[in-house]
Amino acid sequence: MIIAIPLLAAFLTPLIGRISGKARNIFVITSLAFVGFLVIILARDIFLNGLHVYTLGAAEPIPAGYMVPVRIMLEVDSLSIFMGIITATISLIAVIYSFSFMKGETGHNRFYTLLLLLVAGMFGMEFTGDMFNLFVFLEIASISGAALVAFRIRFADSPEGGFKYIVVSAISALMVLFAIGLFYAQYNLLNIGALAQAMQYTMLDKMALAILIAAFAIKLGTVPMHMWLPDTYSVAPASITAMLLAASQASMYALFRICFTLYGVTLNLATVGWIVIVLGLFSMFIGVTMALRQTDLKRLIAYNCVCESGFILLGLGVGLAVLGNPGALATYGTMAISGGIFHMINHALFEGLLFLVAGAIFYRIGTRNLNEMGGLGHLMKFTSILFLLGALASSGIPPFNGFASKILIYESVYQFNPILAIIGILVSIITLAVFMKAFFSAFTGPVLPKYKDVREVPKSMMIGMATLAVIIVLFGLFPGLVREWLTDPAANALINQGAYIEGVMGVVP
Amino acid sequence: MTGNIPFNIPFVAVAALISIAIYIIISQRNLIKIVMGISILAAGINLFLITLGYREGGVAPIYTHAPQDVMVLPVPQALTLTSIVIAVATLALMLSLVISIYRHTGSIDSEESRRMKG
Amino acid sequence: MLIGQSGFAFWNPIVWVIAFIVVMAIAFFFRSRGQKKYKKDTAQTKIFLSGEEVPEAEERHVRADNVYWGFFETLKGYYSVILRPHTGIINDYIIWFIAVIAVIAIIIFIAGVV
Repeated sequence: MIIAIPLLAAFLTPLIGRISGKARNIFVITSLAFVGFLVIILARDIFLNGLHVYTLGAAEPIPAGYMVPVRIMLEVDSLSIFMGIITATISLIAVIYSFSFMKGETGHNRFYTLLLLLVAGMFGMEFTGDMFNLFVFLEIASISGAALVAFRIRFADSPEGGFKYIVVSAISALMVLFAIGLFYAQYNLLNIGALAQAMQYTMLDKMALAILIAAFAIKLGTVPMHMWLPDTYSVAPASITAMLLAASQASMYALFRICFTLYGVTLNLATVGWIVIVLGLFSMFIGVTMALRQTDLKRLIAYNCVCESGFILLGLGVGLAVLGNPGALATYGTMAISGGIFHMINHALFEGLLFLVAGAIFYRIGTRNLNEMGGLGHLMKFTSILFLLGALASSGIPPFNGFASKILIYESVYQFNPILAIIGILVSIITLAVFMKAFFSAFTGPVLPKYKDVREVPKSMMIGMATLAVIIVLFGLFPGLVREWLTDPAANALINQGAYIEGVMGVVP
Repeated sequence: MTGNIPFNIPFVAVAALISIAIYIIISQRNLIKIVMGISILAAGINLFLITLGYREGGVAPIYTHAPQDVMVLPVPQALTLTSIVIAVATLALMLSLVISIYRHTGSIDSEESRRMKG
Repeated sequence: MLIGQSGFAFWNPIVWVIAFIVVMAIAFFFRSRGQKKYKKDTAQTKIFLSGEEVPEAEERHVRADNVYWGFFETLKGYYSVILRPHTGIINDYIIWFIAVIAVIAIIIFIAGVV
């Protein structure tokens, strides 16, 4: 249902858009709000009753007379629904923001159609229980994403960013398909749960694992494969950048679903865990030092995204490294995973807010170049406060949400290896320096004469940004509740491989 | 399926196609050639999937009229069909982006048509 | 509401907010004790630059390029290394991708053998 509604709505949108623009806007926002409502209902149900399995076209997961699941299946557990909540929130806010932001552009029908397709692709990636469907939805998300990146085609750099995005996505998705082929060759299975049960960790499985880790790592912009990310994020319209952020989180979800659920305890855990940790460390350090150097506001935030995803990889990598060791898992492994997952939603929220603010500045003064900005704080007071809020949350300053998740990561990682936590804190400090540079050169200083007439942004953009800001503050003030209701169940779902397999295969005798 | 496919020509062809494709993508600076490389990569992987499902002497997997003997596996064919459709969509989008890059920069060389770096 | 568990420290946002409000109240108290009888629209409210002419707004603002100048000057060696792979050419991105696949595969295989 959740996937079907955006998909159907995507194809209805151009038809309604022909009748009137306003009806289309209302239609888009209603369908997304309805999807968000469904996600919340499902989340509550999953929290109370455990994971859900939907088999398309049949009632039972395994048809009579077969030993293995042959139908296409959706499998939703606490982690999937957690990602679903991120996607629903970000897409709803991005749509509200887009109403004003895209007013000056043409082709609104196509814009909203692609946007809904992107939403459908993301939900599909998060909820699917089938490797091949993962590939299909990955491709849906990347094609619509690339088209949206290049949407403002009158700028010279937009098609370039879109082209880089589509090439990177196409190659990584084809590599994913190759890895799926390797699985199919050995086990004749495509379902994640059934595959996890049959997993032998042979030579071909190791090859497939290497390909899958690299393919999803390039999609989420891990150093040293991050160079496409700033190119793409900086040219996309601001609301789309926030959506792409959620899309890269869906890739991150796929990466961890594969590492934890598909391979699980058959992995050589310490090795793969350290691979993920090292990728995370590189992302954190190189991401933040490159961000310090940028003079383009959105590129700066994009490099900071690379850095923040490094934190998530660090937390979950530590969890992965100790997955086979129950004692360590209980003392700090679960906390590391929970902190990483918490940081995922925080990452989406505050980086989304920063991109929207950067878009608001672009909307008013028409440039992303920090060298040409100055004194905007006098003219756009509200926007500058929101930027400061997002920046502080991102650098992990209390009492915002970034601090809550980062302290979870630091504390658990410190028990695993103190040096990692120290690097993490150092990176956080440089992040603060990065944002002080951006804030200083954009918002402070005297009012520049050429921007005398700059006013605040329109209302719908303001509503979008303010909603994100309110969520950030709430998450910062009540981290205990978030942890109890959202991230701990998700972390447990990730650790508990057996439950996921049982959902598909029935109780194993 | 476990190990009863001998080392044969289709797999050699798959390996050749994928290596040619990767060579093209990393060595050619022409954007159109990169797109062609991705297309060849897609073809190679589709061939890989089809080969996985092939059975010696099998017939087409149409359940209603099939005789009760060996059929080739239906699932990889369904996968390939889907992946061909996706590849076409990707190809169309990439080519249209190349066209608009050419309009803006007057070049389809990936070294000359870059605006962003660092 | 506690989220830290290491035993060395604890973190409670509500306590933090209360402390923040108290500190702000103290700060505002000092501010309210300030001198109110300054003369507006005279030299007292203008920028004082050792008696020199104050430059125009555009020249007064420190540009983003010049922020942290000393930092970049010190770390020139690091940045020249780190900037080299950021070519902006799509082919190079794919080379990195293939290289990472190879490296991860080799690491996993070696770890499996040892």
